Order: sequence, then C-alpha cells, then structure tokens
Amino acid sequence: MLAAAALDALDANDGDTLAAHLAACPECRGELDKLRAAAALLAYDAAPIEPSPDTRARLLAQLKTTPQTPRTGGAANEPASNGAPAIVPAAAAASSAQNVLPFAPTAARRGLFGARPLVAYGALAASVAVAALAVTAAVLWSQNRQLHRELTRVAQNLHETQQTLVAVRAERDLFAAPDSHTAELAGTDAAAHAHARLIYDADTGRAILVAAGLPAPPPGKAYQLWFIADGKPLPGDVFTTDAAGRAELREQIPAAGRHAQIFAVTLEPQTGASAPTGQMYLKGTT
Amino acid sequence: MSSSERAQPTSDADILRAIARGDEAALAALYDRYSAILLGLLLRILHDRPEAEDVLQEVFLQVWRRARDFDEARGRGFTWLVTLARSRAIDRLRSIDARTRAAAAAQREVREEAADATDDVLHSEQRAVVQAALARLPEEQRRALWLAYYDGLTQSEIAARLNQPLGTIKTRMRSGLIKLRELLREQMQSARLML
Repeated sequence: MLAAAALDALDANDGDTLAAHLAACPECRGELDKLRAAAALLAYDAAPIEPSPDTRARLLAQLKTTPQTPRTGGAANEPASNGAPAIVPAAAAASSAQNVLPFAPTAARRGLFGARPLVAYGALAASVAVAALAVTAAVLWSQNRQLHRELTRVAQNLHETQQTLVAVRAERDLFAAPDSHTAELAGTDAAAHAHARLIYDADTGRAILVAAGLPAPPPGKAYQLWFIADGKPLPGDVFTTDAAGRAELREQIPAAGRHAQIFAVTLEPQTGASAPTGQMYLKGTT
Repeated sequence: MSSSERAQPTSDADILRAIARGDEAALAALYDRYSAILLGLLLRILHDRPEAEDVLQEVFLQVWRRARDFDEARGRGFTWLVTLARSRAIDRLRSIDARTRAAAAAQREVREEAADATDDVLHSEQRAVVQAALARLPEEQRRALWLAYYDGLTQSEIAARLNQPLGTIKTRMRSGLIKLRELLREQMQSARLML
C-alpha cells in the first residue's frame, strides 16, 4: 500500500486506513518517504518545457498578497491535496477530543440542595448540543466524501476514454496532414523478420514509428532512430521493445531531419549516441 | 572570477528555508531552477498547456505558503516539490468537468517542444541518467508506474486496465520503485547530479 501512496494511486477507500496506520508506525512513515523519493525520479522522464514569461510575472506579483502559513504539525512533507484524503496524524485527532466537555460534573459542584448547580446543567446541555452537531456534521461530511468519490470515479472513466481518443486522433491527423509522409523500414541481416513504419508530418516534425519483430535489446542498450539527410545521420530518440518484440515511438523530428529520405534504426547504448556506432537493424526510405 | 571563488550552487533545502523566511527572491530562484522540469511533468499529465501553466503557478504559490512544512530530515527539496506538483496535477485531472475536457482536447493539438538543452546541461544529464535506469526496469513494472504517475490511475484502475489482480499491481509498483532506487542509488547520493 505504501508504493501506491507514494504514487498517489491509492483507491478512494484506502486513504483513511493508511493514515491510521501511519500515525502509529514510524518505520512505515520512513519507508513512505523513501518511496516518494523514488517516485519523484519518474518526473525526470518528461521533457523540460520553458513556461511563458507571463506565468513567472503573475506568480511573483501574487506573492505580496499571499500569506505564509506557520508549520502544520505532523503533516510535514504530505502535500495537502483537495481530492485525495489528507493524511492527518492521530495525535491531532486526540488533542481535539480533549476539548469536549466532561459529561458528569464533579462532586464538588453539588449545590446547597444536593441538586447540580445551574452552571453545571448549562455545561451539560452545551456538551450534548455540541455532540449532536458533531454527529450531524460527521454524517454530512461522510455523504459529501461519498459523492465526491463517485464524481471522481466518473471523471476518471471519462478521462481514460479521452486519452485514447486523443492518441487515436493524433495518429489520424498525421495521416491527414498535407505534408505527411510514410517510410517503410525493412529488417537487415541482423533482424531479417523485423519491420517498421514511420509516419511523419514534414511540416511540424511530429512522427510515429511502429516496429515489430525486433529482438529485445541486451542490458545497457536500446534502439535508436536516425534520420539521414544529405548523407549525414541525425539522431532521433531511443526506444526499447515490449515482450512481444514490438515498439512504438512518438517522436518530434528536429527541423534538419524533416526532409530526410532515408531512416535507420541501430542498437546503441541506452543513453543514446550522437552518431551511429552500433549494428543497424532496420533501414528504409520514403 | 576564478573557479575557486565561484560559489557552490545553493542547495534546494537552503532555498526552501529562505522562502520560509519570506524571501521572494528565493522563490524566484526556485522557480527558475525547476519550472521547466515541472511544466514538462504537468504537461505530460494534463495534456493542456494553459492548464499546466495554471497549475504551475498554483504549485509555486503553494510552495510559498507551505515552505515551513518542508523538513529536510525527511527527504530532499526536489522530492517535496515534485510530489506537491504531481499531487496538484492529479487533483486537477480528477476534478475537471469531463465534458469540457473532451471538447477542449478535440480541438487542441499539444506539441512538446524540447527546451533548449544547451542552457541546462545538468538537467539533460539528470534526465538521461534517469531514462537509462527506467529503460532497465522490467516492462511490466514500468508500465504500472507510468499508468500511476503520468495517467493518474489508481491501483484498482491499473489492475482493470492491465487485466491483472490487484495484488500483482501492488507488487509491480513497489518492486518498480525499489528497483529504480537501487539503480540510481549512487547518483542519488552524488552531489554532482543532485538527483
């Protein structure tokens, strides 16, 4: 469950169980921190993209009117998020329980006639009212959470459908683009049964490579796509195959490579090479 | 300025401490250091440029508000920052009106334009190192991590998508993160890469 928490991939119902456990288990808190650090590494896979200067300006302008909050005890390093359950340590819950008024007044408060003094009655009534309100609030809160979960689920389903739709549209658009090209790549002796198709838009450089029949690259190596323009190979992205020997690469061809007529795939070190050094596996032309 | 006089880059923890003291220039420094990486991450999750820039602003405002929560003993500044950013992105993803999203996505084409790499040799090196490690994860672990991290799916949704039992998915996510940590153990401790 900790790995899922580190990835914010818990199911809606798990958050409370986990929070309760974490409050009592320092080893698990430490483990969760380590897993979050590992998960943070995944962020490096995304290509960095410069934001617009506007965003920076707007941000800095807002600082003066944005108050800084003092440290929230115990919840350090847990990002407060609106949708997912906040992980609140049990200590906070316990301290608020101490604010509830005691139900029975102490013996010292008994009045002259042996009955409880008015002050004590007032306190009693108040604590009952508070308790009733608390129960109502708890019920409403729980219903609200449930509705929120439902809404989240529906939104997620729709999101998945859209993702697929966007991907399919991207491929269709590539075919439909006015300056769209297709290149068929055939396997060399190194992989006689390999085959690939590259579809790209020479205008924008957007490209998709779909390959099949490639052997799995040995550890430390990956396949790399090359665009050969004027006899000079330009490096494309590296990719690897799935268990079935298939690969799909979404690529953004740099301007210099968009009118290349020859394409090749070679086996290179995992981090990619600036010039082809390894065995060629696929080659083709438009 | 000779190389011996050139100051060591300020650590993320130092910058966060300065932010916690109300130092606006420190927040700007953190923004300049990480906004491109974070925007790349947000775009991968949200697939919408204006939305991603919006969340980017939100994230740094959150950093400004809650800098005092950062506890160096519990992890790195970058981890805290990235966790916060991703959390906001997933929240945004899960709360957006689905119909609006479908209409917008149909009309917009998202282009990922690579940032100018020469400006930021350190970040491209970090990225290359991490991508190399990721390529070494077993495909099934990488897949599970991806679906969780970039598509924002919950573990049950991943199990449904991959047609696997929930327990298998939990194991894959855990093994994947642990393996990644092992593969990058050296780099994570190296001051040079500041991973």
